[in-house]
Amino acid sequence: MTAMTVEHHEMTPRTGGRWSLLYRAGLIRGALGFCLLGAFGFGLVVVFRWWGGWHPLLDMQVITLVSLLVAGPVGFLAGIGAFDYWVYYALGFPTRPEDHSGHGARTWRDYFRVNTDHKVIGIQYLATTLVFFVIGGFLALLVRTELARPGMQFVDTQTFNGLFSVHASLMIFLFVIPAFAGLANFVVPLMLGAPDMAFPRLNALSFWLLPIAGVMMLASFAVPGGAFACGWTGYVPLCSTHEPLGAIFFNQGVQWAGASSIMTALNFLVTIITMRAPGMTFWRMPLLVWANFTTSLLVVIATPFIAGSQFFSMFDHVMHTAFFDPQRGGYPLGYQHIFWFYSHPAVYIMMLPGFGIMSEVISVFSRKPIFGYRLMALSLMAIVVLGFSVWAHHMFVSGMAPWLRVPMMITTLLIAVPTGIKVFSWLATMWEGKLHLLTPMLFALGFLSMFVIGGLSGVMLGAVPIDIHVSDTYFIVAHIHYVLFGGSVFTIFAGIYYWFPKMTGRMYDERLGKLHFWLTFVGFNLTFFPMHILGTEGMPRRVADYAPKFAGLNMFISLASFGLGASVMVFLYNIITSMRNGPIAPGNPWRGLTLEWQVTSPPPIFNFDQIPQVVGSPYEYGVPGAQHAVLAPSPAREVEEVGVP
Amino acid sequence: MRRGSIASLVGIGVVAGGIAAAVALVFPWLPKPASREAGRIDFEFWFVVTICIVIFAIVAAAILYSVWRFRAAPDDDSDGPPIHGHTKLEIVWTLIPTILVTAIGVTSAIVLSQDDALGKNVLRINVTAQQFEWSFSYPDANNLTSATLMLPNDRSVQLRFTARDVIHSFWVPEFGQKQDVVPGLHPTLHITPDRVGTFPVICTELCGLGHATMRTTAVVMTPAAFDKWLKGQSKAVASPNPATAGKAVFTNNGCGACHTFAAAGTTAKIGPDLDKLAAYAQQAHQPLQAFVRTSIVSPNDYIQPGYPKGVMPQTFGTSLSKQQLDALVTYLVGGKK
Repeated sequence: MTAMTVEHHEMTPRTGGRWSLLYRAGLIRGALGFCLLGAFGFGLVVVFRWWGGWHPLLDMQVITLVSLLVAGPVGFLAGIGAFDYWVYYALGFPTRPEDHSGHGARTWRDYFRVNTDHKVIGIQYLATTLVFFVIGGFLALLVRTELARPGMQFVDTQTFNGLFSVHASLMIFLFVIPAFAGLANFVVPLMLGAPDMAFPRLNALSFWLLPIAGVMMLASFAVPGGAFACGWTGYVPLCSTHEPLGAIFFNQGVQWAGASSIMTALNFLVTIITMRAPGMTFWRMPLLVWANFTTSLLVVIATPFIAGSQFFSMFDHVMHTAFFDPQRGGYPLGYQHIFWFYSHPAVYIMMLPGFGIMSEVISVFSRKPIFGYRLMALSLMAIVVLGFSVWAHHMFVSGMAPWLRVPMMITTLLIAVPTGIKVFSWLATMWEGKLHLLTPMLFALGFLSMFVIGGLSGVMLGAVPIDIHVSDTYFIVAHIHYVLFGGSVFTIFAGIYYWFPKMTGRMYDERLGKLHFWLTFVGFNLTFFPMHILGTEGMPRRVADYAPKFAGLNMFISLASFGLGASVMVFLYNIITSMRNGPIAPGNPWRGLTLEWQVTSPPPIFNFDQIPQVVGSPYEYGVPGAQHAVLAPSPAREVEEVGVP
Repeated sequence: MRRGSIASLVGIGVVAGGIAAAVALVFPWLPKPASREAGRIDFEFWFVVTICIVIFAIVAAAILYSVWRFRAAPDDDSDGPPIHGHTKLEIVWTLIPTILVTAIGVTSAIVLSQDDALGKNVLRINVTAQQFEWSFSYPDANNLTSATLMLPNDRSVQLRFTARDVIHSFWVPEFGQKQDVVPGLHPTLHITPDRVGTFPVICTELCGLGHATMRTTAVVMTPAAFDKWLKGQSKAVASPNPATAGKAVFTNNGCGACHTFAAAGTTAKIGPDLDKLAAYAQQAHQPLQAFVRTSIVSPNDYIQPGYPKGVMPQTFGTSLSKQQLDALVTYLVGGKK
């Protein structure tokens, strides 16, 4: 029986009858599953409402929520095969613990299937997040088009508010956070000397939740009343009781993306704790691994809070509860406290993995050990701990208890210290090094300078009196983009270029890479720096129309933003053409010491033929004869190494 | 480190800091303050900006110097010196930022406590925010209501906020101070205007589709002019002449922000044209007086075709006294005779 099942599964890609597409795991069965479970959800609502005597029988909100946003997506996941193994196991059918048929990708079609190989999942993550990055960027350009001149020109206010709300939600939940998860998915097991993540099937499920969340947020544009238009912060009561149907698409989209984040983080934690190669102590882990370890701690602890806030907000909307409805005894500030208890740590969820990438890139391209390795790792932990004590600095003007402001200001200002340690250590790493200014290093230097501006404006915002003046103005918009674009996005670009040879087995075009960097760097500064001035002078954010005195700067910003948008085209052109036609990459083009560079590009299907033995620090550049790890110790080489003094 | 390298490092730092300082000085960053609180906030702003410029100059100098001085030749495959750390240096760059942020924290806390400290003879004003308009009432002057915020110069003012629907936020850039207006809470805000003039009042918390239009003005006048305004308004509201009283109610409640009404000299077109009330009443088959009154108290009962439902606040039935309502109706109806 077992043998037959295996045979059947191995055969399925090539054979099967006319109807096999309908029952074979894949996108078609996924669509079918969506319809079936969606219909079941619809029926469930109607039966319960009829049984309970509720009117009207067909309540659009409840039906949309249960059928389209909950049951349908579960059906889709079942259809594409995300639960197949567990269902076989639960039903007592034979499972195949040694089955590796989900590993590796032979054709492009394999990237559209449930695949348990961390390298394939990493690519799936990156491709998906780049799609949402382009869509989110396009929405931002529409926002800038409307803002080029005062008054209303192209869209109405409902559409405008929807555009910036969906832009922010996509960029945060569907680009920055999962793009880091994608890079880490590919790299972390390799760096640890592990064959895969600890829970490969959970890993596949985590990925497939993402497209659901993204499509959900985008689909809100199509529902009656328009997209959710209360900003990515979804403040209540505006977003609960005063918004049309679109708001629950945001509430639920965040749940799917958040569930994906939590499962991935658990996977990383278990992988990093239990699957390090022999000899790799915590103090021998590359800083990228440290960064993902600390990020995963943040995700696991913080993300349930945003899930809670969105559930309560949605209950107020759909089930007419009164968690946050002041007219019936609810407490609107309660939402903000819960929301920011996640969303401030989320800033570090979107930053720490980038710190990890920076440590790898700067050390390798400076040909020097990372300066102050232990303090670098400890400052990550300090940021994790302090990061949970600063959330209310988003609420200095919110009307919360006034005494909370000064303590929150102190913790906020203190968090600048470990961040400063990291910046100064990177500078010291470069000092007296041998700098190779290739594209990943250029993005790293761009990150260093831009993130310092974002960090310093963050210190300004931490000071309560300044924050009172600039809260909810374009100064905030400038700050968040210096941190998340100048910070996170620059590190994502650096990471993609750095590991591009490892992922694809081909080199990217260096000249196009440099062109991309300079266009992005200049376009970014021209777009976002003037926003600081707009904000301090008095332009509030999230407005479709503004005072005529701001017209000049806004036109300038809009024009610059189109240039910034064009720079992304250079990037996409570079990676798409290089992936197909770039020169074949060697195993270790950057002469890195970490484990992922010691295998072929792209790596073998199970990463390492034999488990590597870690013997030293990952950053011993300039130390003669230093090794991070010994791979595949064949008897001949051991003799040879013993012979070398 | 050689002496020459220190000199060039400092040189680059001075240039980078100079550029940053020029950016700070050339552009008009902050509006000219019109309150003592804004003056203190400006001090804190420039104090922190100065520290930021110094730090930015150090980082920029280190990056530019490294790129210039330590760049490897394309065929140079050698490594840098294996320096793993320097404990003293690491202590220095932990301590100095700690000291700097402590200084920022202490000055901020002082500024905050001074900004929140009420002065003598405080003028209290109740502020009501709703989608998408502001209204200000003066409890010391019989709850006189005004759609613009009238303030006497050089007097401590405490605003007490009420939100009727969603969260709004009160901000006058020239006053520096800002406060979210949360339904169910009644937060307060302290302002001491110190410059006569007219300034924008802006809602800064996304409050719905009309968020960008939720604006009014704050007028700071000399104490004498303020007293005169208060007396004149109180008299107008209490006037036995319905035209005078009605006009005061019309102006103070901001009716002119949405409606055209020739007698009051307003020309806005968001709501129906009040010069055509008689024709509207005929279309609605209602007597004029009753029609006008219902339209104020319960605006969604009848919507004139061509205008959106649910835009006009539904709260005037409770916020206006019977006398005020009578005066307003008489004023609106009388205007067309």
